[in-house]
Amino acid sequence: MKKYKITVNGQTYEVEVEEIGGAVPIKEETPAPSTEKPKEAPKQETPKPTPAAAPAPKKAVPAGKATITAPMPGTILSVKVKEGSKVSKGDVLMILEAMKMENEILAPQDGIISSIDVSEGASVNTGDLLATME
Amino acid sequence: METIEQKLKILEEKRKTVEQGGGEKRIKKQHESGKLTARERIQKLLDEESFVEIDAFVEHRCIQFDMTETKAPGEGVVTGYGTINGRLVFVFAQDFTVIGGSLGEMHAAKIVKVMDMAMKMGAPLIGLNDSGGARIQEGVDALKGYGEIFYRNTLASGVIPQISVILGPCAGGAVYSPALTDFIFMVSGTSKMFITGPQVIKAVTGEEVSPEDLGGARAHNQKSGVAHFMSQNEEECFDQIKKLLSYIPSNNLEDAPFKETEDSPVKILPELDNIVPVDPNKPYDMKEIIKMVVDEGDFFEVQALYAQNMITGFARLSGHSVGILANQPRVLAGCLDINASDKAARFIRFCDAFNIPLITFTDTPGYLPGVAQEHGGIIRHGAKLLYAYSEATVPKITVITRKAYGGAYIAMCSRHLGADQVFAWPTAEIAVMGPEGAANIIFKKEIEESNDPVAARNEKIEEYRDRFANPYQAAARGYVDDVIEPSTTRVKLISALEMLMSKRETRPAKKHGNIPV
Repeated sequence: MKKYKITVNGQTYEVEVEEIGGAVPIKEETPAPSTEKPKEAPKQETPKPTPAAAPAPKKAVPAGKATITAPMPGTILSVKVKEGSKVSKGDVLMILEAMKMENEILAPQDGIISSIDVSEGASVNTGDLLATME
Repeated sequence: METIEQKLKILEEKRKTVEQGGGEKRIKKQHESGKLTARERIQKLLDEESFVEIDAFVEHRCIQFDMTETKAPGEGVVTGYGTINGRLVFVFAQDFTVIGGSLGEMHAAKIVKVMDMAMKMGAPLIGLNDSGGARIQEGVDALKGYGEIFYRNTLASGVIPQISVILGPCAGGAVYSPALTDFIFMVSGTSKMFITGPQVIKAVTGEEVSPEDLGGARAHNQKSGVAHFMSQNEEECFDQIKKLLSYIPSNNLEDAPFKETEDSPVKILPELDNIVPVDPNKPYDMKEIIKMVVDEGDFFEVQALYAQNMITGFARLSGHSVGILANQPRVLAGCLDINASDKAARFIRFCDAFNIPLITFTDTPGYLPGVAQEHGGIIRHGAKLLYAYSEATVPKITVITRKAYGGAYIAMCSRHLGADQVFAWPTAEIAVMGPEGAANIIFKKEIEESNDPVAARNEKIEEYRDRFANPYQAAARGYVDDVIEPSTTRVKLISALEMLMSKRETRPAKKHGNIPV
């Protein structure tokens, strides 16, 4: 049993706090990896004591949608398409100057450009979003 | 006592049972999921009527759980030998209709037997994988089976070509036999490879992913680099295997198959003179050059979807099989990076092990800069490329079409790594670094002290470009054997290749090197 003195708006309260049972592990819904063959999905709910924070579930890009990202760091030299442009697979969408080369950024699929996320002259890093299409 | 007739009848029945595999119902299910059966696959892959089965009557000897009553005709795998285009191959095909193609002790023993035979006879081994994994009931005996296969994969590596074809699930430890072999073929929608499947991944990390996205043909051909070939269906896959075999010898003591060609060895290709853009900042498609130079424009690309800044594949020059490596200026500016280095190094080592000469086309500005590359270990991965090229004793010929700067110049089969002939086009820029970077360092003081630093800088860049961004500095030292008209590339390559056919090179005896894996 622990006693605390807490002051709220000048008024002092005395509070008693009791600890019940042993240390309560931080609950995380992370079952241990099963060593069994994955014939039956591991059902055992063995909560691990705080493993490295599990990353948030990654949502897949909805079918038909495509994001175009920078393959390497560089500068956007020119943008060849506009939002709403209809493009075919392999069309040049923009030119990324990097490593002293005017790299063509190509459409990964047929479709319509839904957004252009960079402007000419912008510096981009590997993985930066350049455009989306569907 | 049984009569001879009865004995023959028993044999016939036993054989029929084995050939039925898992029975009509399961075969129907296999077909419904768009897959052929193990026997159908072998029929389609091998020359007609050439397949000879061995070990058809092998049975498991497991008495655990339900296994005493479980019959597994053929032990879930069909093994034997036959021919492809008249050349001997050994083959095993896992039969998913027989207890899920699961691998038990005797199933593995059948595979091990054909592996041993393939090695003794010096013939390629082709494994058609379609298995649910280890047969759990057999416990450690199943693990022993995998282990013995891995061990033989390793012993056979560099002795006979080993080809793995994934035609169904291949999960857990089972993936490591294919991984140890030379080439992995996958079929879209059919093939799945992973160490831990989507269910386990979801449970452990919370990531949601479909089996196809996780370990399908595209994932492994494009993202992981685990697989080498992708096809839309099994027929196309078998055609790819036959094509691959046409370029490679049956074992490490043979030369690669020679194929007569109508294509002239003295063909001049005027289009090549203008293929490299005048502006060094403009990309072009290196594959066009390759296709123009090789016999009949036939270039068989390996790992076409992975690390596309590095092109690898097989082709022929005047009938001789060659392995081609090339930087692709259209992708990542043709930079060397971790994946490109790994891809190229492995391809070089395959070619060297099987006596296939190496032709390298160079146009690379250098190594890809970035924290991800450095922390990903580009130093040790890039070193593999140096190691593999240096280690290779097959004929090595290099053509520098444009940029060959710094460490990347050395890495792309320079004379210093043992290239036998290095040709440069007049467009080649062989130097320690690009003009812009070099001018900034060498002329730093002049540029800073000038009244107009921008103009001074440009002037110095031009000065450097004129003096060093050409092939003649390297040619003056003999690092480049000849500067050639691009139109004569095919002629020069074939001449050099034929000159090099008798190449002998001995190295100090050693157990094995220590490639920075």
